[in-house]
Amino acid sequence: MYKYFNNIFVAISSILKGMSITWRHMINIRKGNVTLQYPEERWPRPERDIGFDLDSYNVIRSRLHVDIDDCIGCLKCERVCPVQCIKIVTTKAETKGEDLPDIGHTGITSNGTKKALIVSRFDIDMSECCYCNLCVYPCPEECIYMTGGPNSHKHPIDYEFSQYDRNDLIYKFAKDVDDEKISKYVSKKIK
Amino acid sequence: MTVDNLINWFPFGTEWPVLTFVTAVIICALPVFLFIAVYALVAIYAELKISSFMQDKVGPMGQGVGLHAWKFGILQPVADALKLILKEDIIPDLADKKLFVMAPFVVFVGAFISFAALPFGQNIIIADMNIGIFYILAVGSLSVIGIILAGWSSNNKWSLYGGMRSAAQIISYEIPAGLSIISIVMLTGTLSMQGIIEFQSGTIWGVLPNWIIFNNPFSFIAFFIFFISGVAECNRTPFDIPEAESELVAGAFTEYSGMRYAFFFLSEYAEMFVISAIAVTAFLGGWNSPISGFMNSSGWGVFWFMLKSLSLIFLMIWFRWTLPRLRVDQLMSICWKVFLPFSLVNIFGVGIWSLLVG
Amino acid sequence: MGVIHGDLMTLNIGPQHPSTHGVLRLKVKTDGEIISEVEPIIGYLHRCFEKHCENVTYDQVIPYTDRCDYIASMNNNFGYAVTIEALMEIKVPERVEYIRIIVAELNRIASHLLALGTYGLDVGAFTPFLYMFRDRERILDLFETLCGARLLYNYIWVGGLSHDLPRDFVESVFSFLDYFEPKIEEYNELLTYNKIFIERTADIGVLPPEVAISFGVTGPNLRGSGVKWDIRKDDPYSIYDKFDYDIPIGAGEMGTVGDCWDRYYVRMVEMKESAKIIRQALKGLPAGDVHQALPKKIRPPKGSIYKRTESPRGDLAYYIVSDGSPIPYRLKMRSPAFTALSVLGEISQGWMMSDVIAILGSLDIVLGEIDR
Repeated sequence: MYKYFNNIFVAISSILKGMSITWRHMINIRKGNVTLQYPEERWPRPERDIGFDLDSYNVIRSRLHVDIDDCIGCLKCERVCPVQCIKIVTTKAETKGEDLPDIGHTGITSNGTKKALIVSRFDIDMSECCYCNLCVYPCPEECIYMTGGPNSHKHPIDYEFSQYDRNDLIYKFAKDVDDEKISKYVSKKIK
Repeated sequence: MTVDNLINWFPFGTEWPVLTFVTAVIICALPVFLFIAVYALVAIYAELKISSFMQDKVGPMGQGVGLHAWKFGILQPVADALKLILKEDIIPDLADKKLFVMAPFVVFVGAFISFAALPFGQNIIIADMNIGIFYILAVGSLSVIGIILAGWSSNNKWSLYGGMRSAAQIISYEIPAGLSIISIVMLTGTLSMQGIIEFQSGTIWGVLPNWIIFNNPFSFIAFFIFFISGVAECNRTPFDIPEAESELVAGAFTEYSGMRYAFFFLSEYAEMFVISAIAVTAFLGGWNSPISGFMNSSGWGVFWFMLKSLSLIFLMIWFRWTLPRLRVDQLMSICWKVFLPFSLVNIFGVGIWSLLVG
Repeated sequence: MGVIHGDLMTLNIGPQHPSTHGVLRLKVKTDGEIISEVEPIIGYLHRCFEKHCENVTYDQVIPYTDRCDYIASMNNNFGYAVTIEALMEIKVPERVEYIRIIVAELNRIASHLLALGTYGLDVGAFTPFLYMFRDRERILDLFETLCGARLLYNYIWVGGLSHDLPRDFVESVFSFLDYFEPKIEEYNELLTYNKIFIERTADIGVLPPEVAISFGVTGPNLRGSGVKWDIRKDDPYSIYDKFDYDIPIGAGEMGTVGDCWDRYYVRMVEMKESAKIIRQALKGLPAGDVHQALPKKIRPPKGSIYKRTESPRGDLAYYIVSDGSPIPYRLKMRSPAFTALSVLGEISQGWMMSDVIAILGSLDIVLGEIDR
C-alpha cells in the first residue's frame, strides 16, 4: 500500500520537476535560443588567424580548389586521394619553365619552381570527394586547397555548391585548350 | 443562439418545417466548422512555437517568399494546410477502400458534433440540452470507431496495432472520465451544461470563485483524473501510444496522406478543445469570471471560457513536450489501478460531502 | 480455462523505421503486443570497408575508419593509429598522446549525448533529445576549429596528428566543460529520474552478466550489467593509466542489474568521468611538436597485430596483417556495436513491442559500424 501511494507521489513530483524545466526554458527563450536562421545567419567559420605557426596549415573542409598556374603536375594529390576523385593528365613540355601564352601555360610557379609538365586535365569530382583533406598536405606548391579559412585570401569560402546535374559537380581546373594546340609544345622525345 | 430559437425566429417556420430545420442547422454548423478550422490553425501555430521555445529554438520564423510564412512564421499553419490539401491522396491498393475513405470523417464527426453542446457563453450554445454533458461523453467516443476503421482498412500491420491500441485505450479511459463527471453531476444535480455552469457562479467565503474544483477536495482530485483521462482520450503524449511514432511509425494514420490525414489532425485538435471545454465547464466555472462580478457580462463570458480552455490546451502541449511515452500495459494499469479506484472513492467522498456540508 | 494459441504474426521493423538507428531490419514474430522472436538482419549499409582497405595505403585507411562509427570518428581514428603504431613500434610525442585523449574523450561525450538523446526519443521524450543535441553541437564546434570537419575528422594520424591545437582551444574546452557539467543534472531531472522513463526502462531487457560475456558484449552495455571491464583500465593503451577516473557500472538502482535504465545511466555517468579525464589532460598538456613522429612512409614490417581500444560503444579492435608493403594485406575490425546487436534477440524475447524499441535504443548501435 505504501509502495502504491509512493509511486503516485514520485510520478507526480518527477513530472512536475520535468515540467518546471521545460517552463524555465520556454520563458528564457531569448537567452537560451540556439537556432541560427540559416540563409540570414551563417555558422561562424573557423577564423583564418587560428593560431597556427605555419600559414599553410589548412583546417577548413569545403570545396577543393586548384590554382592551376601553380600546379606542376606532380600527381601527389591524385595518388593520395582515397576515393580517386582527382584526375590529372600531364604531358612533358618541350622546354622547362617557359611561358606558353596561347595555351595559357605559365612556366614558373609563384614559389619559383620551373614547370616541366603541361597539365592538360585536372578534374575534381566533388560529388565523390570525402573531404578528408589528405590531398592538401603533400602538395609541394600549395596549389590545391580547400577554399576559405586560412586560404580565404586565395579563394573565398565556398561550401554551398549544390547543382542540378551531377556532372556539374566535376570541377575542371585545367585551361580549356584543345589537344592539337598543346601537342605543338609537347616534348619530341615522348612523341 | 440555439437551433430551437432560430427555428422559432424564422418567419416561415411553420410552412416548410424541414427547410427551416436544415437552414437552422447549417447556420449553426458553419460557424462551428469555421471556428474549428481557425482554432486548429492557431493551436498548431501555438504548438509549434511553444514546443520550439521549450526546446531552445525559435520555431517557424519564415520571412521567405510568398505565402511560405509571414513574419514570425504566422502563416506556417496555413502553408501546412495548403500543402496537405494539395498533396496526392494515396489509397493503398490492398486497402478496404470504402472504410479507408470513410474513417477520417467518422473521427472528425465525433469531435465535431460535440461542439453542439459546448457553452461558449451565457447564451451562445447551439443546443442547450438537458443531458448536455452526457451527450458529449457519448458522441465523444465515436472517434474510436473511426480510428479502428482507419487501422483496419489500411491493411497495414502498424495501422492495425495503432487501431487496436487506441480502441483499448480510449474505451478504458472513458470510464474514469465518466466517473469523475458523475461526481460533478451528483453535486450540481443537473446534466445540462448551462445548469452546471450556473451552479458555479458566486464565491466561496467571498474569496475563491465557487467553482467545482474548489468545492471540495474530492472534486479537486476529480478534475485531475478527468483531465488526464481526457489527454489519454485525445491520444496526446504521454498517452500517444496509438500513433507512437518511434514504435508504430504513425499508428493508425500510417497510410493516410493529404486531406484525409489533415482531417485526423484537425479532429485531434478539435478533440483537445472539447476535452478542455468540458473540463472548464464541469470544474472551472465555464464562462464565469474568476473574480465574482468582475467582467461577468455575456460578452466577457466568451472571453473567460476561451481563456480557460486555451490554458488547458497549453497544459496539454506542455505535457507533450516534457514527458516520455507510456507503454501500452502501463497505460492500462494506470487507468484501472489508479484512476478507477480514485474516481470511485471520489464518488463516495462527494456523496458524503454533499450529505454533510451541502 | 484453456489457453488459446493464435498464429504468430511476422512483422518487419525497418529497414525504413524511425527508431532502428539507421538501416536495420528486425524480423519480429509477435503474439499481439508480445514479442516472441527477434531476428536482426543487417547488411543494408555494407560498404566493403575491410576489402576496401586492402587496396589503399595505410594512411588512406583513416578516412574510411571515420565512416565506420561515424558518431565517434575520433575514437576510430585513435584505435587505428594506436594499432599501426604498435606494429611499427613508433613512440609518439607526449603532447600527441594528451591531445588524442582530449579529443577522444570529447568525442565520447558527444557520442553518449547522441545515444542518450535518441534513447529519449525512442521512449517518446522529444525535448531532452534536442537539449543533448544542442550540447553535442558545441563539441562539434570545438572539433571544427580543431580540424575543420564536424563529423568525419581524419585528425589522428599514424604517429601524430594532422594539426596542432588551435589557439584558445584549451580555454574553450574548459569553458565547454564548465557549461556542460551542470547540464547533466538537468538531463537527470528531465529524463533520467522521470517516473515514466523509469517505468519504461527499469527491469526491461535485463542483460545478465554471463549472457553479456558469452556474446562478447563490451563497453557501456557490459558495464551496465555490472561487469567492471574497460580497456582503458584493464589493458591500458596510450597514456590512460596516468589519469584518475572511475569506471561506472550498473547497480540496479531502479530495478534489476543490467536493465535498460542501467545501461542508460552508465553512459550518463561516463560523460562525467570523461569530463574528469579531459580536465586532467588539459592541465597536464605538455608542449611539443605533433608532427615529430609522423613516418615519412607507412610501411610496417611483416607481421600481424591485434590491438583493442575503448570506443564509446565498447571494445573496438583492429587486426592488421602486414606483408611489408604500404598496403595492408588484411584488415579486420572488431566492432563493438555488432556484438551488442547480436544480443538483442536473446534479451528481447517476451517483452512488448515498445520494449523492443527501448532495448534496441539502450544498446546504442551504429549501423555504419555493424555493416562496415
